[in-house]
Amino acid sequence: MENVRKLKFESPGFIQRLKGMLGVDFYRLFHTPLFYIFLVISAIIPAMVSAMTMMPDQSGNTMEPLYSNVWQIIAASEPLYVIRSIADYANMNMVFIFGGIMVSIFIGHDYKSGYVKQLFTTHAKKQDYMISKSLVCAFAMACMCVSYFIGGTVAGLLVSYATDVNVGSLLIAILGKIVMSLGWASLYTFLNIIFRRYFGISIASSFFFGTGILIIGAAAIVENLSLPTSFLNIFLYGASVNACLVSGIGSLLICIVVSVAWALIYNLLGTRILYKSDVY
Amino acid sequence: MNAIEIRGLSKSFRGMYAVDHLNMTVPVGAIYGFIGENGSGKSTTEKLICGHLVPNEGEIKLFGREYTDAGVRVRVGALIENAGCFPGSSIYQNLMMQAINLNLENRDEEIRRVLKIVRMEQHASLKFKKCSLGMKQRVGIAMALLGDPALLILDEPINGLDTDGMRIMREILVDITQNYGCTVLISSHLLGELEKIATHYGIIRQGKMIVEMSAAELEGRARVFVSVKTKDLVGAKTALKAKYTTVKEEDGYLRVYDVDDTESIVEYLLQNGHVVSEIKKNKIGLEEYYVELMSQPTAQKEEK
Repeated sequence: MENVRKLKFESPGFIQRLKGMLGVDFYRLFHTPLFYIFLVISAIIPAMVSAMTMMPDQSGNTMEPLYSNVWQIIAASEPLYVIRSIADYANMNMVFIFGGIMVSIFIGHDYKSGYVKQLFTTHAKKQDYMISKSLVCAFAMACMCVSYFIGGTVAGLLVSYATDVNVGSLLIAILGKIVMSLGWASLYTFLNIIFRRYFGISIASSFFFGTGILIIGAAAIVENLSLPTSFLNIFLYGASVNACLVSGIGSLLICIVVSVAWALIYNLLGTRILYKSDVY
Repeated sequence: MNAIEIRGLSKSFRGMYAVDHLNMTVPVGAIYGFIGENGSGKSTTEKLICGHLVPNEGEIKLFGREYTDAGVRVRVGALIENAGCFPGSSIYQNLMMQAINLNLENRDEEIRRVLKIVRMEQHASLKFKKCSLGMKQRVGIAMALLGDPALLILDEPINGLDTDGMRIMREILVDITQNYGCTVLISSHLLGELEKIATHYGIIRQGKMIVEMSAAELEGRARVFVSVKTKDLVGAKTALKAKYTTVKEEDGYLRVYDVDDTESIVEYLLQNGHVVSEIKKNKIGLEEYYVELMSQPTAQKEEK
């Protein structure tokens, strides 16, 4: 008792707290193999899809190429909310599927290792956790988009697809998808908060939502109500497919608004859940 | 000011109370030994203090502030159940993450400092998954020590360790409490070990605090007794029982409670034909006090 020190308690501000939490998450991202593995996966997948279409089938005939243009590997030719062929689907939007798996593993390890206890012992404000995870995972998914772009471009050029494109639209499509990473990352963080005790369900739910399968139901409703299909852009998947090779600046604005809005919604909901429920 | 002040704290899981209207007071600078059986609510209380669990009701104050206050929580270090480290990362990397989390300056220096305290400076680059149980516990303590904590919450830090590991851990705990002067809340089943360092005790049963006292109060409450050894224990016991209220046989000795006059016992036994081969004065320790307390019915304990 004679060793009692003079105690001073200074409350760290939001920026200082977030700096600490972001610092940990970025340190972990760059110092563990998970992020690099998913970067490689992002680069390999478009190359594999392109190469597969060039392989001969059992009777020796070459399959019909999925794409006619290199940039279709990156984004669809037009906003296709409900897919008609695998080519409509197999573009940079796939990053949002395996990005979800990466987020689940990244957050799942927090809980599995018990490190989350250290975080919540020192961070009384639960929003720090939600915001930090959403931002860092959005960064990781944005990097995966870049990696996908590089892999897809190299693969497309190697198989000699046509290269003609409206460069502005292509850039907007890529930027739009990068911007959408924030909304998707927030959704996955939210899902992982809900299913934090069940690692398998976290991954499965991320995969399920990432496929955009729910857009089919939304599209049916929109059709029944005779609403314009652009109404589907209010959803993460809708805005993501809207960023395509015919996109203008309006598409990018939609991506920004939709991504930020959903990120806010998921962060608010996730924070509320964290405050109301036990950490584990 | 108290380091921890808890009033009417409750936490239930599926309708069962793990912590039931608990009151607790840990003075600043104390080493508070938190004692109870398995499932008595020790870990749940510690998790509630750390903000890992949401209480059903009650109030927790740390250093006079709400326990949700960000300023006080950054000064809390905890080792609850496990070290909370990433197994694939090295000890250094795990500590670095916590140092970044706490926004510490001179991170490398701070990591070296805590590694030295827990005698792990030679193992900084070792992957956490390669550590032995004792090493993992020490890394957990190092994590909790980062950032000059004012309050350390340690859940069973000694359990599962071998004799050597226990000795090292005890030395570390004495070192950090004596030289770094933070308040420590430590739960353990190893009461003998706890007795060597604790300044205060809290005994919990079925989620309720049965008794809180300082080490000095325990000393005051502890019953004295005289241990006697004779050839004919049965005969001597019968003779002693005729004069003294409580006489028990324990490990080949007769214990005469609430007496410290050895001469009168020797004289009395000799008068009754029993030669005393060994005699010494004793006091009940924490372990015996705890066992005695636990053997009483619940209502009686609450009266105490």
